[in-house]
Amino acid sequence: MNLLLVEDDTELARQTGRWLHDAGHTSTHSDCGAVALRLLAQEPFDAVILDVGLPDMDGYTVVEQMRARGFGVPVLFLTARDNVTDRVRGLRAGGDDYLTKPFAMEELLARLEALHRRSNQAPPQPAQRMVGRWTLDPLKRRLRTENEVIDLQPREWTLLEVLLANEGHILTKKFLLEKVWDIQFDPGTNVVDAMICRLRRKIDTPGHPSHLQTVRGKGYALQALP
Amino acid sequence: MLSKLFPDRVPSTWRLGIMLGVLVTGSTALCITVAGWAMKRDLGSIARAVVLDDLGEYAVLYNRNGLKEIKDVFAAGGHENDQAVRITQPDGIVLFEMIPAAVDGYDWPEQAPDGLNPSAAMLTTLLHPTKSQELLAGCQVLRDGNVLWFGRTDAEDRAYVEHIRGDLWLAGLVSSVLMLLPLGWFVRQVLTPVRAMMQSTRQLAEGSIDARLVAPGAVPELQAFAKAFNDGLDRIDSLTSELQSANDILAHELRTPLARIRGNLETFHDHTDNTAARESAARGLEEIDRATDLVQTILTTRAGEHRALKLHLEIVELHALLGDLHELYKPAAEERGLRLDLDVPEQRWVLLDRQRTNQAIANLLDNALAYTPRGGRVTLALRVHDDKVRIVVHDSGPGLSPTDLTKIWQRHTRGSAATANTPGMGLGLALVRALAHAHHGSAGCRNRDEGGAEFWIELPAGDPLASANGV
Repeated sequence: MNLLLVEDDTELARQTGRWLHDAGHTSTHSDCGAVALRLLAQEPFDAVILDVGLPDMDGYTVVEQMRARGFGVPVLFLTARDNVTDRVRGLRAGGDDYLTKPFAMEELLARLEALHRRSNQAPPQPAQRMVGRWTLDPLKRRLRTENEVIDLQPREWTLLEVLLANEGHILTKKFLLEKVWDIQFDPGTNVVDAMICRLRRKIDTPGHPSHLQTVRGKGYALQALP
Repeated sequence: MLSKLFPDRVPSTWRLGIMLGVLVTGSTALCITVAGWAMKRDLGSIARAVVLDDLGEYAVLYNRNGLKEIKDVFAAGGHENDQAVRITQPDGIVLFEMIPAAVDGYDWPEQAPDGLNPSAAMLTTLLHPTKSQELLAGCQVLRDGNVLWFGRTDAEDRAYVEHIRGDLWLAGLVSSVLMLLPLGWFVRQVLTPVRAMMQSTRQLAEGSIDARLVAPGAVPELQAFAKAFNDGLDRIDSLTSELQSANDILAHELRTPLARIRGNLETFHDHTDNTAARESAARGLEEIDRATDLVQTILTTRAGEHRALKLHLEIVELHALLGDLHELYKPAAEERGLRLDLDVPEQRWVLLDRQRTNQAIANLLDNALAYTPRGGRVTLALRVHDDKVRIVVHDSGPGLSPTDLTKIWQRHTRGSAATANTPGMGLGLALVRALAHAHHGSAGCRNRDEGGAEFWIELPAGDPLASANGV
């Protein structure tokens, strides 16, 4: 992906630029809204990472001006304000997603990829999705082998789908809570861990390495083929 | 002293009215009594002068021409009805007596007192056996040794005093009515403004932060009070908005450096091959996430307590909301050997901030899961009372100590059942209460009769469409 990173904090911009580079993306950095709007006109970008608190104008205004000038490129807001009102304001202004500081690298990448997929009419899913020995049956929301069937509860199914859509990537607890349960805060009880354990018990084959890895301090990752 | 004079519920108009009435009546009565006493005294001395005067005149008439002259005077008529004249011999035999009916019936002395010199007069007061009027009688020894008696009743004086007393009562009544005018003034300029202020204060207590005290036409002191009070409220208002922006600034100032640290730590974590270093970095990342949550919790709690929290209100169905939370927490509860039940009998649409409500209930569930021993039971329930909904989390845990019941809602207070292994900083319940408060609701707890603790948040749940239109 070719990305435009608009962030006035140089250290954060440096880190983010490096992450994007490591993940195989190219990025251009701008530290204010006016320059960002000029850059957008000069070069095609796949997505914009936009800090809300910019020195010259706030991120919402940048998006409004972008949209007014006809740029449809997806925008991911980066912000220090964590509340639904600001989130809604960002989305209303024309943003596509919203990430609060501090954020995990994986979460940024997962969100960017989701935005990219969405704007590029994601390729049709393979007819048959597999996790290890299991074949997914999306209509009946269950897992099959030749002689076994496991029914998944609705949330377990959604969790599996989100993990599968980002297969091989680490997904943070926060990201999963938002995508699977529409919860935008971190409950004190590790509810995600419990749900992952439950899913793991269902899909893993005893004696084999687990499909679902817990990465301490970072999150969870699914390997469809261990 | 005056404060104990009336029962608590007597309104001040009545108090003032009763006090004024008593004072006016008392002072009028005092005036009349004093005036009556003074008039009586003065009329008494006038009466004595009249009696002595008349006695002297009759004595002169008698001494000049004897009894005949007296008889002639009386025969000429014009004698007053309340005056009696008698002439007796020294031994008491009556020579002449002119006693009108009004003066009849008094027991006159038989003889003049001993040693009374001729032409000297002596006065005495005679009582009537049945009537209340007194007779002021005087006697004088005449030149021939006979005794002249003259008597006059005080009937006229009494009637005079009575008239004046009546007039005084009338004046008292009129002045009483006039004295009620201050009462009207009190009601209009003091009591009515105070009532209006009470109304505004009630609105304030109910959470409408724009309410202000108004006192048009009130006494200057009340107007000054209202102004001072309103200035205070304006100050609180500006503090609240300052707090709001301070929260935003603090959040920003703290989150950006946290983001820098986290980013570097994450890069370190991903690029180190040393297992111990990677483990430390992972712990560091967890701690940073925890610190971020803590900052957010404190800011949200502060904002909620001051109703400065921006809510994103939407119409939400509670059955579904609680069902989702139940589903989210069930695996975690089972992992802890607990049974998590859902008791939501009906659907109910309400207007609320979905995330904030979820967060409040999640905190209650976090607590219940942390404090209920393995094998226990936690229930998430919905109770609907008219225009309120109560979301209840109760457990089969150890319950709350009496200290817990009062103190547990304060920040940084943890329940007495907390152990070193129980997670949390004691901020959860303060957050729950602040979130309920931000929704114009409340939060509470109690021990259940059947054992265990029960926590709830109560939220207003009027017609969500009507409320939504009002927002």
